[in-house]
Amino acid sequence: MMTARPTALIADDEPLLRDALARLLAQAWPELAIVAQARNGREAVELFETHRPDICFLDVHMPGLSGIEAARAIGNRAQLVFVTAYDQYALQAFEHGVLDYLVKPVEAMRLAETVARLQQRLRAAQPLGDIEALIEQLAARLRTGSEPARLRWLHVAVGSALRLVAVDDVDYLRSDEKYTRVAWRGDGGKPAEGLVRTPLKDLAARLDPAQFVQVHRSVIVNLRAIGQVKRGDNETATIQLKGRDEVLPVSRSYLHLFQQM
Amino acid sequence: MVTIAAGLEAPSVRAMFAWPRLRVALAVSLIPFLLLVWQWTSGPHSLLIRTTALGLAGLAAFGVLERWPHRLPRWLARWVLQLLGVGLAMPLTMFLFYYLSTEPGAPAFWRDADRLQGFLGLSIIGMMLGWWTGLFALVRQKDVLARQQALALELQRSEFERQALDSRLRLLQAQVAPHFLFNTLANVRELVEARSPQAPRVLDSLIAYLRAAVPQLDAPATTVGHELQLVRAYLEIMHMRMPDRLQFELQADESSLGLRCPPMTLLTLVENAVRHGIDPGEEGGRIDVRVQRQDGRCCAEVRDTGVGLRAAAADAGRGNGLGTGLSTLRERLQLAFGGDAQLRIEALQPHGVCATVQFPAVDARRGRQTSA
Repeated sequence: MMTARPTALIADDEPLLRDALARLLAQAWPELAIVAQARNGREAVELFETHRPDICFLDVHMPGLSGIEAARAIGNRAQLVFVTAYDQYALQAFEHGVLDYLVKPVEAMRLAETVARLQQRLRAAQPLGDIEALIEQLAARLRTGSEPARLRWLHVAVGSALRLVAVDDVDYLRSDEKYTRVAWRGDGGKPAEGLVRTPLKDLAARLDPAQFVQVHRSVIVNLRAIGQVKRGDNETATIQLKGRDEVLPVSRSYLHLFQQM
Repeated sequence: MVTIAAGLEAPSVRAMFAWPRLRVALAVSLIPFLLLVWQWTSGPHSLLIRTTALGLAGLAAFGVLERWPHRLPRWLARWVLQLLGVGLAMPLTMFLFYYLSTEPGAPAFWRDADRLQGFLGLSIIGMMLGWWTGLFALVRQKDVLARQQALALELQRSEFERQALDSRLRLLQAQVAPHFLFNTLANVRELVEARSPQAPRVLDSLIAYLRAAVPQLDAPATTVGHELQLVRAYLEIMHMRMPDRLQFELQADESSLGLRCPPMTLLTLVENAVRHGIDPGEEGGRIDVRVQRQDGRCCAEVRDTGVGLRAAAADAGRGNGLGTGLSTLRERLQLAFGGDAQLRIEALQPHGVCATVQFPAVDARRGRQTSA
């Protein structure tokens, strides 16, 4: 085991960067044999299974299966070193953990430090430990680094076409079984309608409450689209919209929102 | 949102007799007192009561008519009504006083020359002073209102300025992202190390990109031709980085190159196409940019054969994703063209996205001349 040359796999979607890492490794660790180069996560896992290298250098950001997902698949069967671009979220996530990582462009000195660590671990033939937990931690940190933003664009199906509609243009949303009907100001201000394949509840959680108000169990309306609110019988009301014919119901439990009038 | 006050709110009943108003009424009511006290036969007290009553009556009339009746006929301005009311309130109040203070058995006050003189004197002085005071108060009110409106307008303008500045700041943050820069430099370093003949050309593209991207901060607008240069530089760099996954082509009408265009319009769409369309797919795809000029409008289209909108939904949760770039683009288009620009993003079959921007065709040179 120790007399054979140590082997490594490099995975990065940018071919020049694969070459760069290979070249730098050849200088820093001439003994190391690069047995495979992968262009995405899927290939990385496949090539790992074929060649079983000792070390895997995985770019975090890759198409299809990412470096993190590939790492999950490989697990603790190899030494893992993540390679990440200068990305504040990624850097924060890595700095707090114990997993090895390199920042692109890779600096010779930092690579030398990483190489020294890897050599030591291979010599000591240390068991790799609970890498899965560490990877999960890292994945979680990478996810929370970019918080879920307020919804700005909706994927709306209009007939057989699919398009993006700015949330600001939406007049109201109405639930339609498991999906949501959306009415918005289309091109030239014309009223338009479509379907969003998400339940109203999920959309409601991500809309700006200062702009969108739920007036009924199945209706959310954009405040700027309200023309008039008319009191009805039985403690209900209806909303007439600006520039549209539809009338929206306001149910008892939401009537209090319009009490000031 | 700042709304301009339509008018001062009518005061509540308590506010009608609020101290500032009350002290003015009482102070003014001292004038008839001082004028008449020398010749007042029934003693200063009775005069003081009457003049104070005049002051209070005028104040009450002014205040009540300020809010009631709620709706006035078109030909009657509220201030006219208020002044008329104040004028009427004086003789009415004096009538009441004189009538009620007539001793039982004594003749009606209008038969008593002395008392009649008192009544007329107080009523007339009251009316004059009432009108003057009322007018003075109304003019002051209008003055305050005008100042409020000016302030509100000022606030609205600075709010607008702040929004425009915010938008430009976000533009600045979006440009030259470290992620893009360092990744590209890593690629370039490799080319240089390998003594590749491509290296100078790629560096040229990077220089062109940086040069085009950075000065946008000061210019509120740039030209379509300039945008295309920026987009070309960017696509050349990305093609160098992932040659197996990106093909592209740019096409533009000659007549569209000199048209005014908000900065980063095309670049935002192309960046989205690369980041969210081409890059996530293992096989990549192709980007086609077309700019046309038709009938006073300019239409720019960015098509890609990448993973399409469905997949992008997964990214939509993250902060600096597809959503933010498009939202700021929408803002910039609003700021530049009001409602006259359109942004449309549609899915393509079998996979991919077509992003279209349409805006009025304004010659950049002419545009600069007409703007202050």
